Amino acid sequence: MTLANVFVKTAADRWMGWVIAAVSVSLFLLLGMSTYREIDLSVYTSLPEAFRSLIGIGDDIDVGGLAINVMFGTWGAIAMAALALAMGSSAIAGEERDGTMDILLANPKSRTYVLLSKTGALVVSIALATVALWIPIYPIAASLGVEISGLEVEALTLHLFANSVFFGLLALAIGAMTGDKGKSTGITTAIMVLSFFGVGFLPLIDGGDAVVKLLPWYYFDGSDPATNGIAWGHLALLGVGSVLLLLAAIVGFNRRDLKGQSVGTTMLDRVRGNPLLNKMIGRLAGSARVSSIWLKTLSDYQSLILIASAAMFFVMGVMMGPMYASIPEETLKTFDQLPEQLVALFGGGDMSTPEGWYSLETFGLMAPGAVILVTVVMGAGALAGEESRRTMALLLACPISRYRIVLEKVVPMVLYGIVVGFVTFAGVSIGSVIADLGMSISNIAATATLQTLVGLVFGSLALALSAGTGRTSIAIYGSIGAALLLHLFNSLGALNDGLDDLGWLTPFSYYLGNDPLNNGMNWIDAAVLAALSAVLIGLSFVLFQRRDIRQRG
Amino acid sequence: MSMSMGSEARPAIHTNGLTKYYGKHLGIEDVDLHVQEGEVFGFLGPNGAGKSTTIRTILDEIRPTSGSATILGLDTHADAVEIRKHIGYIPGDLALYPNLTGMDTLHYFANMRGGIDWTYVDELADRLDSDLSRKVGDLSTGNRQKVGVIQAFMHRPDLLIMDEPTSGLDPLIQREFQKMVAEVAAEGRTVFLSSHTLSEVQRVADRVGIIRNGRLITVESVADLRSKSMREVEFVLDAQAEASDFESVEGVSNVIVAGNHVEMSFGGDMGELLTTVTERYGVADIKTTEADLEEIFLTYYHEGEEDRS
Repeated sequence: MTLANVFVKTAADRWMGWVIAAVSVSLFLLLGMSTYREIDLSVYTSLPEAFRSLIGIGDDIDVGGLAINVMFGTWGAIAMAALALAMGSSAIAGEERDGTMDILLANPKSRTYVLLSKTGALVVSIALATVALWIPIYPIAASLGVEISGLEVEALTLHLFANSVFFGLLALAIGAMTGDKGKSTGITTAIMVLSFFGVGFLPLIDGGDAVVKLLPWYYFDGSDPATNGIAWGHLALLGVGSVLLLLAAIVGFNRRDLKGQSVGTTMLDRVRGNPLLNKMIGRLAGSARVSSIWLKTLSDYQSLILIASAAMFFVMGVMMGPMYASIPEETLKTFDQLPEQLVALFGGGDMSTPEGWYSLETFGLMAPGAVILVTVVMGAGALAGEESRRTMALLLACPISRYRIVLEKVVPMVLYGIVVGFVTFAGVSIGSVIADLGMSISNIAATATLQTLVGLVFGSLALALSAGTGRTSIAIYGSIGAALLLHLFNSLGALNDGLDDLGWLTPFSYYLGNDPLNNGMNWIDAAVLAALSAVLIGLSFVLFQRRDIRQRG
Repeated sequence: MSMSMGSEARPAIHTNGLTKYYGKHLGIEDVDLHVQEGEVFGFLGPNGAGKSTTIRTILDEIRPTSGSATILGLDTHADAVEIRKHIGYIPGDLALYPNLTGMDTLHYFANMRGGIDWTYVDELADRLDSDLSRKVGDLSTGNRQKVGVIQAFMHRPDLLIMDEPTSGLDPLIQREFQKMVAEVAAEGRTVFLSSHTLSEVQRVADRVGIIRNGRLITVESVADLRSKSMREVEFVLDAQAEASDFESVEGVSNVIVAGNHVEMSFGGDMGELLTTVTERYGVADIKTTEADLEEIFLTYYHEGEEDRS
């Protein structure tokens, strides 16, 4: 029944992710509204226009508007677009990589039929998730006594739907044209992240207003649909873009050779493809990547670490310096007058100083996010990944203990966590130097160290879940979910006295809580974070030792 | 090699009431295996009978609900790492790292063991006609299996544990594989291999253990099993056949006569049958087909039930 056709199966494969997203965004909304209700909102109305643009808050802000803007305009929109992206890239390219496309197309169905079924499932899934996001808004607001009647909630959710469809189709089209899931995910993520940040940043600088219109994300909330209602022109542009992407997908998918169940080509492979370089590498490294489990693990995640490091180094590190320098003096001055309470919301990010700027833009979310992404993927993949790919059986047939296997998986995870922290440090330092911002290099180092440590807590959590259950999905959902909730808890805690008392509970309060970019290293914070990771890693050893190895994923 | 040989030697594999439940679902129950050093032991059973569960339990991948096991005299849990120095293993439904070449894969596992004779690896690859320069992910199932086989043989382990090792291999390569197994046994090393086809096991094994629904039903020498096993026999004779001539022979059932053509199910001594037939008829043609494995299991299963009652 659930496998009635391609459409139903595609939609059913992913329902869990959408449900989790819809429920968590609604929970965030509930938490957000109840928090914002407690604070004096005049702090927002006195905000300079430029700053409001950066954090996506409209002119006539009230409790409901603020909560809905923050939760839907950022968290909800990113979560939905990311899920659409994942579904879009799996649609065609994912089936090819898994080797199931051959058998699917052995049925009397055309490629266009398969593609349209997958597209239909994608669009309907997004629509259902949008409805699931939209319906709870009213009961949540009513139960907290928050007035939202002046808000164009439907307009915002419609924009959110169109935006998600666009990014889903972008990923689907790239996957359909190339058959390369990695390419599809990578390019779409890059466009999504860059346009999300661009929409916040570009309006702050001269001439940015024109450039921002090139970014797809601008047509999601550039018109502030929650306040101004539906911007039909913007929606039409997203719609036309989506249709063009679909057409490109159909043409591209029909014209090319199908890829068999395939193996990704890594950088190392490409270099080895050149006979001369291959000889050199062979001489230099021998078969280094297969000389031990930990080196092989380092090699397995080379693309991930390269992309994460490059993004942190160039975009979040080096570029942020000159970007800050390009913000007009007057705009910076107005940041100076921000209420303290609000500043606290962004981890002490006083935007009138470069430290505050970097705290908000780089260290606030993206820097720990990058360490969390890398270490969670590695921690989850470490043991559960080998089990679901069924290679654990051969590893365990070698004369090495289970402890040793865990150890050889922990080392690469920690190393790459350190690498991400280090490149962030290097990028921010260089950004500060070339833009002549005069930030303390040792404070940057301290912040980056704490960044690695806080990220590793969640990587270690993923490892412990992976060691305890052998299931990658539990490890990834569990640790990313914990990270999101605890981060949100930490941000809101700054606004709510009741929550603030519980602030010590979240690892993030040991990260930017004592403003390391201004105050330097807080060794107690570092020790707490390191101890948390150590406990979780220790637990992983015990859990993995005791457990039956799973035979199938 | 017969059962009598080495009954006083240390067992290569010994399990004692080995039982594994997955929650409430039975994996194996009360399995008592005794595999001698130097023998080739076939572990026969239909899909889902508990072959892989047994193997995974003695390899410490999963832990028994009750019972215990030793390999080469060492406890399978406490001495797991020591044991793995002496074994080679091919898991059922083998999976390798798709982004490594065959050679990379072998180096990876070799580096965890040390002491690999690479000329022997080359020899194995030659014999199995395996191209080790290609990425495992780009290989066909059979060619991937060859990498798994080399991986298990390459360090000349004292005990080879192989879970359906020939799946995906073509008949020519299967024959080469059987030769390799025989050579291992000739060197006094032990081979334990599981299969769901009787003929495959008969070709290489000295003894066979039959497992069904998680229980070890019987352990037989291949010779005994062959004499016991049911098969379909068809004769074309030089004269009109009489059903009664055949029904008198022990082990014959379901006789169908059509002129000079006779078909029957047979589960006895083939020599006796042939003697009886040739005494009365001239034989123009004989055809025997191996009985369905399930029939044999049913035979033993019923015997087992009767023994218990």
